[in-house]
Amino acid sequence: MKSTTTSAHRRLGALMSLGAAAALVLAACAPASSSDPTTPASDPTTSDAAPSDDANGETPAGEGGTLKVGYISPITGNFAIAGQEMVDGWNLFWEINGSEAGGVTVETIVEDDAGNPELSLTKARKLVESDGVDVVVGPLLANTALATAAYTSSVGVPNLHPVAAADDLTQREANDLTLRTGSMSGSQMNYPGGVWAAEEGHKTAVTLCPDYAFGWESCAGFKQGFEQNGGEVVSQIWYPNGTSDFATYVSQIQAANADIAFVVTAGGAPGPDFLRSFMGLGLTDSQDLVMNCCGMDQATLRALGDEVLGFKSISYWAEGRQSPVVEEFNNAYAERYEGKIPSANVAGGYMTASLVAKVLEENGLVTGEDLVAAIGDASFEDSVLGKVSWDEYNNTVGSVYIREVQERDGKLYNVPIREFNDVDQWLGLDPDEAMARETYSQSFQG
Amino acid sequence: MTRAQKLNVVGFAALIVLLFAFPYLGTSGYQVSLASTVLIAAILAATVNFLAGDGGMGSLGHGAIAAAAAYGAGWSSLQGHSITMQVVVAMGTGIVVTLAYGLLSMRTNGIYFLMVTLAVGMVIYGLAYRLSSVTRGENGITGIQRPEMLAEPWAFYLFVVASFLVVTLVLLVVSRSPFGAGLRGVRDSESRMRSLGYYVPAFKLVAFMISGTIASYAGLLSVWHTHFVSPSSAEVHRSVLLFVMVILGGLGTTLGPLVGATIVVLVENVVSNSMERWPTLLGVIFVLAILFARAGLVGSTAKLVRRMRQRRAGAGPDDAAELTDVPPTSGTTTSVRP
Repeated sequence: MKSTTTSAHRRLGALMSLGAAAALVLAACAPASSSDPTTPASDPTTSDAAPSDDANGETPAGEGGTLKVGYISPITGNFAIAGQEMVDGWNLFWEINGSEAGGVTVETIVEDDAGNPELSLTKARKLVESDGVDVVVGPLLANTALATAAYTSSVGVPNLHPVAAADDLTQREANDLTLRTGSMSGSQMNYPGGVWAAEEGHKTAVTLCPDYAFGWESCAGFKQGFEQNGGEVVSQIWYPNGTSDFATYVSQIQAANADIAFVVTAGGAPGPDFLRSFMGLGLTDSQDLVMNCCGMDQATLRALGDEVLGFKSISYWAEGRQSPVVEEFNNAYAERYEGKIPSANVAGGYMTASLVAKVLEENGLVTGEDLVAAIGDASFEDSVLGKVSWDEYNNTVGSVYIREVQERDGKLYNVPIREFNDVDQWLGLDPDEAMARETYSQSFQG
Repeated sequence: MTRAQKLNVVGFAALIVLLFAFPYLGTSGYQVSLASTVLIAAILAATVNFLAGDGGMGSLGHGAIAAAAAYGAGWSSLQGHSITMQVVVAMGTGIVVTLAYGLLSMRTNGIYFLMVTLAVGMVIYGLAYRLSSVTRGENGITGIQRPEMLAEPWAFYLFVVASFLVVTLVLLVVSRSPFGAGLRGVRDSESRMRSLGYYVPAFKLVAFMISGTIASYAGLLSVWHTHFVSPSSAEVHRSVLLFVMVILGGLGTTLGPLVGATIVVLVENVVSNSMERWPTLLGVIFVLAILFARAGLVGSTAKLVRRMRQRRAGAGPDDAAELTDVPPTSGTTTSVRP
């Protein structure tokens, strides 16, 4: 009797242990920050922004004081690669330019949130209450960004977002202390794509987007741009996150028989996966296609090589743009990261750093709402993202590029073939009108 | 044994005093808030511990139950309801979801139970992620406020401490009641309980309701703590971590969940500040606990103390008793009734 009951109980214990162990192993195996063998050996979790920071101990901090920056990014877990890139971009700027701007020393504390909003919040609390940072930068994902922004604004600390794309960050949840500094909102960055597609003479379009907030916003942006200019979106297809076999979706695109297909991914494996299916079914020449920022980023170009030459995409970041700023950035990054070309995440981190440096140079040490106000007033004639300024909801107003994959010196670049300037987040609407509408979803696309 | 009991009482009293005194020990706001996180996780882990330890039902869905309650509060706060109404909606959502879980799972056991709770948890995650008109999708719901009187972090912390103690007491009382004895009977042998005339599914359903209701309450506390809820709180990963807490602390022990939650939360939030590979560290701790402290930290310590005491008593022949008490391959606390 006893032995059977004991063993039943033991079995349950063993079962649960096994399950938990398996899950932990999975979590532990997920790439930590340096999943990328090319990242330099410097330990990012403790990284003070730049090597030159080491000098802080010897030479006194800049006369203008110190700006303490808390940098939250998912450098472990599923989003580790993107998160590490975001940190690399920020560090790169200070490595090139020295960690002092306008006499103010910039000191960075990097914290990992593993893409989990609860963790982002504790980390933000730690940075603000324990480390006393003047500004929090990051995190990366939409939900972590919104959670962090809500907290930092409640304690009066500015929060800058180098990558997060959630529309609401600078719309319904906008506040005086939260800024999007290195990217655009999901609908904003794809709206010009729709305008362009319509102007190219396409009459009908089919869209394929991931079935969650970023996908809804991206598709809504494209659709409104396209339809406001006389096009018609005949079919909208949604795929669940984590899809790896796109064959059925590609056939649906084929069946929709539209002039142009617009395809969104949030970066990572889905981009190459989709394109392999797309090319595998022989649609390369018969179906016009435009992808979003992240479906056709450098990771995709590296994965697919020459096969994607001539493919088009829409983004606020174009690594192949002919501009001294971009070239300096590309070269500096390639030098430190084994010849790689930076992605939008790196650009976002770099952009945020250059913005902070610019503000410090012009104003000396500013913190709190003054810092945000100073950034809001700042503008760049030419930054890595092109001409950029900030609107009164603290969102970027900048350039969006229609890009084509071209080869240059044996490397593949997304080269702009059309540029839209001063793109704001309102998609041609009045701000109040835009925000009074419901949030985007499968059923509401504007 | 009276000495051991006395020690227990003194230990518990010291713990309670320490918990209440924590904010006054010169701790920073951040540390107090971290302590709140630990205690809320401990409450949630205690519900899993109760279900698995007393009922033999390993649930992979408690994270999602708590998330459902949190979403209830979030949705209600979006509608501009009063705090009271938010509590009602949150607890109501949690209890309805728990009932759904309970009804679906009450006829299953072992791995099937695990699978059913996992599946329902996934459904809740899917809804949170996709039903954006109610949940705002991946963006989550921000700006959920707690009652005015708990607005201060230390006030909220004390409230969480009180909640933790009440929950622990309630679970202890339930576990020691005739119902708890029946539940352990179900855990040890369903067929025996059936042949004794008990209606086994009812036991399971009631146990699940108790556990789920408290989990909902923990969900409400967590949303009051973070002012925020998003699909990630319904992820399976969260539920798995609850299990890790329970197993680390010791399945079926009273203080196990608190110890386990402390370890997991501190590794997640504090060790990760200075160590890049903190998920690996968590894994290593877990593997070591499985290998060398199978009854969890609390359970194994208790066993060790008991064994040392027996040895000091010098009762050689008692070795046999000791052996049955601690079977060499015993998975967890196996208090088998004859």
